[in-house]
Amino acid sequence: MSDITAPAVLSTAPPRKARPLPPPMVLFGLVWLASMLAVALLADVISPYAYTALDLRNRLSPPIGMGGSWLHPLGTDELGRDVMARLIYSIRMSLLIAFGATIIGAVIGTTLGFLAAHFRGFVEQVVLALVDFSASLPFLILALSVLAFFGNSMVLFICLLGLHAWERYARIARGLAISANGQGYAAAVRQLGASPWRIYGRHVLPNIASTLIVSMTLAFPEIILLESGLSFLGLGVQPPETSLGSMVGYGREYLTRAPWILLAPAFTIILTTLSVSLIGDWLRDRMDPTLR
Amino acid sequence: MIRFLGSRLLRAAITIIMVVTFAFIVLRLSGDPAQIIMGADAPPEAVDAFRTAWGLDQPVLLQYFHYFGAILQGDLGRSMRDGRDAIVLVAERIPATLALTIPALIIKLGLGIPAGITAALHRNSFIDRAVMLLAVAGFTVPSFVLGLLLVLVFAVQLGWLPSGGQESWRHAILPIITMGVGGAAVLARFTRSAMLEVLGQPYIRTASAKGVPWRAVVWGHALPNAAIPTVTIVGFMVGSLIAGAVVVESVFSWPGVGRLLVVAVANRDLAVVQCILLLVAATMVTANLVVDLLYGLLDPRLRNQPKRATGAA
Repeated sequence: MSDITAPAVLSTAPPRKARPLPPPMVLFGLVWLASMLAVALLADVISPYAYTALDLRNRLSPPIGMGGSWLHPLGTDELGRDVMARLIYSIRMSLLIAFGATIIGAVIGTTLGFLAAHFRGFVEQVVLALVDFSASLPFLILALSVLAFFGNSMVLFICLLGLHAWERYARIARGLAISANGQGYAAAVRQLGASPWRIYGRHVLPNIASTLIVSMTLAFPEIILLESGLSFLGLGVQPPETSLGSMVGYGREYLTRAPWILLAPAFTIILTTLSVSLIGDWLRDRMDPTLR
Repeated sequence: MIRFLGSRLLRAAITIIMVVTFAFIVLRLSGDPAQIIMGADAPPEAVDAFRTAWGLDQPVLLQYFHYFGAILQGDLGRSMRDGRDAIVLVAERIPATLALTIPALIIKLGLGIPAGITAALHRNSFIDRAVMLLAVAGFTVPSFVLGLLLVLVFAVQLGWLPSGGQESWRHAILPIITMGVGGAAVLARFTRSAMLEVLGQPYIRTASAKGVPWRAVVWGHALPNAAIPTVTIVGFMVGSLIAGAVVVESVFSWPGVGRLLVVAVANRDLAVVQCILLLVAATMVTANLVVDLLYGLLDPRLRNQPKRATGAA
C-alpha cells in the first residue's frame, strides 16, 4: 500500500541536472557584489579612519602608485580626509539607499498592481493613469523638482528614489495577477474561503516572484546611478554624509590636482552597476519564462 | 484613423493636465516660497507684500485655477529671482541644449542601430560579444563619470579639447560624445534583442525556405518588423532629450535648459522649474504621440484597433 504513495510518484520525475557554473563575467559580478556588501556591513571595522577625520599635514596626498604612502593607501582630499575611509562609508551609504529604494519601489508597485488586478474597474483605471503619468516624465526631472521643493532629508530621498520604477512592478504585478486569477489554483483557494490577503500574499506572489526579482535586479543599478547622479549635482546626499556620487561631485573640483579623489568612487560605481547588470541579465535569461 | 488619432490626442491631453496638476501640488504645497526667497530674518511686512504680489496669499484651490488659466494663455509666471518671464528665460536656453542633444541623438541612432543589427545578424560571433560588452559598459557608466573621465583624458592630460564652457564648437565635442555614447549603447542592446526576436519568427524561415535571398529577407522582412519596438525607444530618447542634458550640461558648465533647471531647483525658483517641467512633459507627450502615429504607419494592424496598441512594455 505504501508503494503507491507520494514518494513513489515523485521518484518518477526526471533527476535534476547539476547546474552549470555561471559564466566568468557573472561570477566576477557576484564576487564584486559580495565584497561590496561585506565592505558596507563591516565599514566600522575595516575603515582605517573616521570618514570625517582630518589629517591637515597630509592634504591632497596621492595614493600608492602615484607617490603616496601606506598611511593613506588611496590618498587624501583637500581637507586631508582619507579617500579610502570615505569610499568605504560611501559604499555603505549608496548601497543602503539603493537597497531601501529598490524594496520600497517593489512593494509599492506590486501592491498597486495587485489592487488593480483585484478590484478592476475604477481602481484599475486610476492605477493605470498613474502608471501613464509616471512613464510620461523622465524620473530625473520628477525627482529634481520634488527634492528641491520639499527640501532634502535622507528619508525623503530614499522614499523618492523608491518611486523610481514602481510603475514597472505595478504593470507586471497587475498583468500576472490577472492571469493568475484566471488559473485554477487562485480560484481554488478562493473557493476554500481564503481572504484576498492570503490569496495574493501566499499564493499569487510566490508564483510571480521570479519575474519581480528580475525587475528588481534591473532597477537596482538604475537607482545607484540616479542616487549618484543627484548627489553629484549636490541635490542628493548632503555633507557631512557622503555617497559615491557626492564623492565624485566633490572630487570634480580637484580634477586636475588630485584626480584620485574622483577616480576611486567613479570606478566603484561603474563596477557595481556593471556587476548587478550582468547578474540581472543572467538571472533574466534563466528565470524569465517568457524568454524561453 | 480619425478615431485612432482622437484617442491618442485625448491621452496626450490628460497626461499634460496631470503634469500641470502635479507641478502645482508639489511645487506650491511643499513650503513657503516667500519665506525662502526673502530669507528667514526678513521683516514680516516684506514677506506679506511678496505673498500678495505673487498671489501666494489666496486659497490654494483658487491659486490652482488661476495657474491653469494662466498656462492656457501661455503665461507661465516670472522667475522669482530676477523678475523676468520664466518662459523667456527657458526659451533663451533651448538653442544651447539643442546644439548638444541633436548631434548626440544622431550619434545614438548612427552608432546604436547599425551595431545592434550587426550583432543580431551575427549572433554569438565575436562582433556580437564585443557589441554587447560595449553596450553593457556604455549603459553602466553614468554620464557624469564618463564626462569627467573624458575631461581628464582629453582636456587635462592631452590638452586637446576644452573642459567646459560654450565659447566655440570645440567646447561641444566632449558633451556630445558623453551624451551620445550611453544612448547608443542602450539603443544597440534594444535593437539587437528586437532583431533577434524577429529573426526567430516563422515568416523569416518561410521567406528563406522559399528561396528569397538573405539580404532581401533582412531588408524586406526583418528590419521593418524590428523597427516597431526600436521606434518606441527612439521616441523615448527624443522625449527625454532635456532630461538627459541635465547632468551633462552641469558637468561641462554648458548654459542650456538642463543647467538652468539645476540652478532653479537649488534656488527654489518655482516659475522656472514649472516651466521646464511642462516643457519636458510636452516634449515627451509629443514624442509619444508621434511614435503612436508611426506605429499606425509601420503596422497596419494597429490602425483600426480601438483599444490601446500594446499592453506590455
